[in-house]
Amino acid sequence: MNEMNATHDQGPLDDHSRPTDTIPLPAPTAWPMVLALGIALMLGGMVTHWAISLLGLLMAVPAIVGWFFDVLPHERHVYVDVHADVIEIKSTRETLAHLPLDERHRKLLPLETFSVMSGVKGGIAGGLAMIVPAALYSLIRYHSVWYAANLLAAGGFVSWAGESNAFLAQFHLRGLLAAMAIHGLTSVLIGLLYGAMLPMFPRWPILTAGFVAPFLWTGILHSALGIISPILDQRIDWSWFVVSQIAFGLVAGFVVNLHVKVRTPQFRSLPFSVRAGIHALGDEEDKAP
Amino acid sequence: MAHAPVLEAIDQTQIRRRPPLDVLYEWVTTVDHKKLGLMYIGYALLFLVIAGFEAVLMRIQLAVPNNHFVSPQVFNRLFTMHGTTMIFFVAMPVMFGFGNYLVPLMIGARDMAFPRLNAFSFWISAFGGLLMYFSYLGGDGLYGMGSAPDVGWFAYAPLTAKVFSPGHSTDYWTLAVLLSGVGSTGTALNIVTTVLSMRCRGMKLSRLPLFVWLMMVASGIVFVAVSPLTAAQIMLILDRYLGAHFFDTQAGGSAVLWMHFFWIFGHPEVYILVLPAFGFVNEIIPVFSRKAVFGYPAMVAASVGIGFISLSVWAHHMFTVGMGAAGNTFFVFSTMVISVPTGIKIFNWLATLWGGKIIFKVPMMFCIAFLFQFLVAGLTGIMLSAAPFNWQLSASYFVVAHFHYVIVGAIITSLFGAFYYWYPKMTGRMMSETLGKWHFWLFIIGFHLTFDFMHVPGLLGMPRRIYTYEAGRGWEGWNLIVGIGALFQTAGTLIFVYNLVRSYYRGEVAGHDPWDAWTLEWATPSPPPSYNFAVEPTVRSGRPLWDLKHPEDLDENYE
Repeated sequence: MNEMNATHDQGPLDDHSRPTDTIPLPAPTAWPMVLALGIALMLGGMVTHWAISLLGLLMAVPAIVGWFFDVLPHERHVYVDVHADVIEIKSTRETLAHLPLDERHRKLLPLETFSVMSGVKGGIAGGLAMIVPAALYSLIRYHSVWYAANLLAAGGFVSWAGESNAFLAQFHLRGLLAAMAIHGLTSVLIGLLYGAMLPMFPRWPILTAGFVAPFLWTGILHSALGIISPILDQRIDWSWFVVSQIAFGLVAGFVVNLHVKVRTPQFRSLPFSVRAGIHALGDEEDKAP
Repeated sequence: MAHAPVLEAIDQTQIRRRPPLDVLYEWVTTVDHKKLGLMYIGYALLFLVIAGFEAVLMRIQLAVPNNHFVSPQVFNRLFTMHGTTMIFFVAMPVMFGFGNYLVPLMIGARDMAFPRLNAFSFWISAFGGLLMYFSYLGGDGLYGMGSAPDVGWFAYAPLTAKVFSPGHSTDYWTLAVLLSGVGSTGTALNIVTTVLSMRCRGMKLSRLPLFVWLMMVASGIVFVAVSPLTAAQIMLILDRYLGAHFFDTQAGGSAVLWMHFFWIFGHPEVYILVLPAFGFVNEIIPVFSRKAVFGYPAMVAASVGIGFISLSVWAHHMFTVGMGAAGNTFFVFSTMVISVPTGIKIFNWLATLWGGKIIFKVPMMFCIAFLFQFLVAGLTGIMLSAAPFNWQLSASYFVVAHFHYVIVGAIITSLFGAFYYWYPKMTGRMMSETLGKWHFWLFIIGFHLTFDFMHVPGLLGMPRRIYTYEAGRGWEGWNLIVGIGALFQTAGTLIFVYNLVRSYYRGEVAGHDPWDAWTLEWATPSPPPSYNFAVEPTVRSGRPLWDLKHPEDLDENYE
């Protein structure tokens, strides 16, 4: 870093007077350091003596002025001689190992998949569908459509932990709002998660969402519900819960399946003839997961 | 065959030595991002040694029960100065030092966007550190009270009030941190502006090296997080000098207000420090696995996600003040949520390693240690994020062990990896691998002796900041092991410092690209010239040097 020795012509120069084979760089200046020291001394005077603050002020003011003239009306530059040695960029490795995944060493990801937003939309639709079996359960078991909503909301209200089934079967605006918030947020998040997983499982979205995911999700909740919402854990009917999960999944998967797949960045790596539709993809690419 | 006279056959090239004052003037007046980066790093290393020495003194004091190696007053100053120094005058400057040095090189720029502001930011941070340590000399000063700050690194009110902290010791702390905050904000502004406006042709945001992304996100957090701290310092100065009552509980002020102000800086600060550390790991692991990083977009999204979420978790440091159920619930969940993007990163690093041709050079060894240690740090973090668990262990040595796992186990460990990785670029010389391995093993063994076993006295109820303790509480054996670990770490760090100095003079010449890497800084000579690139580079992918080295298999085809 001794190139600064090879500098010349400080001060503003236009392009015509600039030496050839040089690069303009900001000129070195002591003013930032002096200003920093001045400010530090001004504050340091508060814990030592006012004279130190005065000294700091006397340093800071000329530093501000000096800095001002460093950049206005024209920024000061130095012109540094360029030593344009050509550096050969090459790998020190003689062999390039290709992983045995593909003829090319890179694993090809899907060329088309569903968008993340399709998962979110599926989550919203599934969330709406899930209300039907939940309300049916409430009606059949407790003769009120509000029981399931209040039970869900009770997880958020500590004071509802000891309430009776009769209380939970009544309409409570607070409970309805809380249940809507919990259910809406969870549905969107599950949809988002589903959308993020779609590129990994792009085939048969109705099967994945309608059956595999509900059983996985039910398993996770079964093990964790005692911590998340003890009241829900005590009173939940798991068979009805599975039914409502399947309703959610089937509708979510159906909505996702309605969406057109979008091309992934991998599509751009295909030969032009394939992208233009002149040649079809071979079997091998079709099978790429 | 004609023979040249003997005198002519001897190389008579004279090495031109410049007078020391010339050299000093050059460094003091420089606005070159690389020199400023090196000054940041050198200054941080100096304070690392000082703060490390303070830590060793504390561990000697706590190694055995009923010890009086230092006085209680000195012990209070030691943990205050150690914590403040490590955060404000070691970790932040060193991260900004690497950012300063590497960001323009990685994006193909000639300098930072505001080179003079860059110099100012460095100097004002440096003078902040000097002012704080001047307290040892000047604290007794003209008013005859106090010495170095002794209120802890988060300086809770009302301990900082004039009545409990007479003299100027707390003022030194406040003013030094204030100066440091100004410097941090200036550098953060510079980094964000540089990344957004000075990228070379073809360097789209989607092609930025991950280190650059992470420095940009960390700098963005600095804007939001440091401002409240600076405001709080000014309010504290007003309290102490002009009789304001912001934090004076007996005059209508609020001590909890200070907690909020401090921790809304304090917790994002962890991410300000750890995000650049993630950046180091993001650059090193792919090169030493000989694979492109796995899931670049997810890594960027996770980094930005961490940046946002980190601003909403601060009050998990305050569960014990009684925030109420709603506050506790929110901060429990927001804290737990941050483990999601962090987990994505860990999985992506593992996926990058998976199937790679891993080369266990010293930088990579530190990154592997980082992965394991950061995972453990994250797990104890999740434990502490649960409010009931936190009520039990708040202000215990379990908390101390947890955050040292983050700061030493993750941040400092990856930082050591970064030193070994970029030292050849900065100096043109390789660091010794043998000494590096000695450093690695001594440090890692010492780290685990210290911080693994530090969790146990915490679980057994040992409070943090305790001066000494009685025998028979079950703490003494653990503390002795912790102290022995500190000595191992000291030995490792001293070897590292020796390696830095020795390699500068006697290290193997590095060449421009000793690791066969892929980012733009390796396309310049080592050390790079002041103008970085003779010709402005043009890039077509996230790994421009890969494209040059493998024209038959261009990255751009896969982006």
